[in-house]
Amino acid sequence: MYFAGVDIGSTMTKVVIVNADEKICSRVVGLTGAEHRRLANEVMAEALKQASLCLDEVSFVVATGYGRLNVPFADRQITELSCHAKGVSSLFPDVRTAIDIGGQDAKGMKINHGNLVDFVMNDKCAAGTGRFLEVISDALGIKVEDLGSISLKATHKVEISSICTVFVQQEVVSCLSEGTPLEDIVAGIHDAIASRVVRMVKRLKIEPSVVLTGGVAKNVGVVKAVKENLGCEVLIPVDPLLSGAIGAALLGKELILKRLEKGESIPKKERRLEEATFFR
Amino acid sequence: MVKEMESKGLTRAREIYQDRTLRVKELKAEGGSIIGYLCIYPVLEMMTALDLVPYRIFGDMGEPITKADAYLPTVVCPFLRSSLDLELKGKYAFLDGMVMAHICDVGDRVAHIWRSYTNYPYFYFIDVPHTVHRAAQEAFKEEIKGFKKSLESFTGKELSLEKLKKAIEVHNRQRTLVKELYDLRKPDPPLVSGTEILQVMVALASIPVEEGNELLRQAIAEAKERKGGHEKQTARLLIWGSIIDDISLIEMIESVGANVVMDDTCVGTRFYWPEVELTEDPLDGLAYRYLVGINCPRTFREAVFGETKKDYMADLESRFSYLKYYAREWNVNGVLLQSVKYCDTHGYEVPGVKDYFDSLGLPSTYLEHDYSQGSLAPLRTRVQAFLETLG
Repeated sequence: MYFAGVDIGSTMTKVVIVNADEKICSRVVGLTGAEHRRLANEVMAEALKQASLCLDEVSFVVATGYGRLNVPFADRQITELSCHAKGVSSLFPDVRTAIDIGGQDAKGMKINHGNLVDFVMNDKCAAGTGRFLEVISDALGIKVEDLGSISLKATHKVEISSICTVFVQQEVVSCLSEGTPLEDIVAGIHDAIASRVVRMVKRLKIEPSVVLTGGVAKNVGVVKAVKENLGCEVLIPVDPLLSGAIGAALLGKELILKRLEKGESIPKKERRLEEATFFR
Repeated sequence: MVKEMESKGLTRAREIYQDRTLRVKELKAEGGSIIGYLCIYPVLEMMTALDLVPYRIFGDMGEPITKADAYLPTVVCPFLRSSLDLELKGKYAFLDGMVMAHICDVGDRVAHIWRSYTNYPYFYFIDVPHTVHRAAQEAFKEEIKGFKKSLESFTGKELSLEKLKKAIEVHNRQRTLVKELYDLRKPDPPLVSGTEILQVMVALASIPVEEGNELLRQAIAEAKERKGGHEKQTARLLIWGSIIDDISLIEMIESVGANVVMDDTCVGTRFYWPEVELTEDPLDGLAYRYLVGINCPRTFREAVFGETKKDYMADLESRFSYLKYYAREWNVNGVLLQSVKYCDTHGYEVPGVKDYFDSLGLPSTYLEHDYSQGSLAPLRTRVQAFLETLG
């Protein structure tokens, strides 16, 4: 039996297929882009190819992420909050708090024995998300993936006083004109994003162990700043982008096992491995 | 003479919900006087007793706020901004008068602007104390006495105690009928959806009270005849907080796998639960009902001093035990706390209410929205995730 998780985030689309032993058979990451409904099927086809499977061999497909409603081949939609909680716990069974910083949102999740129990979310403001780093790296003329290593050379962190992404951009430009070293500015930016997210997540009463996921967890500078702001150790998955998709696949497996235990059959829904033709 | 209605009950409620002026425009053409009122503190019984038609002011979550921003800052209650916006766009131009009340700070500002930019033949502002002790009750009684006088001079008619008592009875009947309708939310699945209930509540605020009572009787009969009711869902939610006068929020919640079965909002129980006691001087019963009976966080009601000492939980119990009653009687298994943005009144109340539901072992989550249909999409994920935690 195989189970697939399709996580359509604001920036990246992730597909993971696991087998009955919860071993990952394939993982594919693609850019979501503006027309994500045209892309989900391509990423899925790629994942199936990698695992040498056809769609009918996959027992259950769970879609998650903000594009979850536009996946014509999904058997069920589950929110990214529950999927992240599940995915993170499969990687770190002792996790109690998970922080996910994605392209356009940031969320904190309280987890108990693998289940989501509470959450907070910032989904209406670019500050404290990956988008913030994209805008700032643009203003600084450097690649977003280089931010992390640059910030590690900082000797003195710049204090960023604004919260709004647009105003921070202005602040950064004025720092540059004052001759502030680039690495100090970048370190300040990382601290700004980390303190904002940590303040939000603290509403959940953070308990260790804490896991950080999402594309932004690939930035060593932000990881360092999150640790400093939390005052505790932070665990990072090998591939921090995939926890939502992994969780989606595993939740699909759980649903099917429950049905089989009850003596019910696996529901067969008509699935179309094609682009969605409408937005719901 | 009441016009022959083509549709009845829940269908009629939906029609009035979709066009709130449906009935009052007819009444107006027949020579009736329509008096707008904002918030739930203006005394409806006095208007009804003088054959005025009270018409509640709502905002419009589907209408972008364009005019009000020139008069109010954008960082205040979006419901009041929207209501004022509709007024400035002439959507309430058919009114013959307007009654506003000292509800919250922004409400006061809106009242002043409203009065300055309209030319209704009648306008009145009722002062409402923020506490419920004896002196406050007496002050409020004096205040509504003034309201009574002003209505008398506007209509040129005397408001006799007789007429007032009769109006109290009719409004109390409406409150009893609303409770009867709410009882039909108790079965699992409920016989009426949260969306339908809200349509009825909005309709009641848009038509004369007697017609509202008839509509309620029809709706109750109609719902009772239903077999099986709505789709059974795992979640039976209570929704608490600031005004909900638009079905889009409830529809969204009910579309992701929940039945909204109870509320503590002012287009629901907060408005219709408290009844007026028929006291010898009807003003006593009215003053008590409107000041003490209505349970909105705009009024500060601590436990009686000394009674609960410094015991936080005992204080919460004395303030919110009615919520326990709602939750148990309507078999609620999750609570959505919601407020429009920038509402200090509700925002400050959230931690206490949340702690109270925690103490009952009832899971709750808090949502903030900016009173526009477009802002509901991100909330959908939160509501859905909350439902997933309920299992």
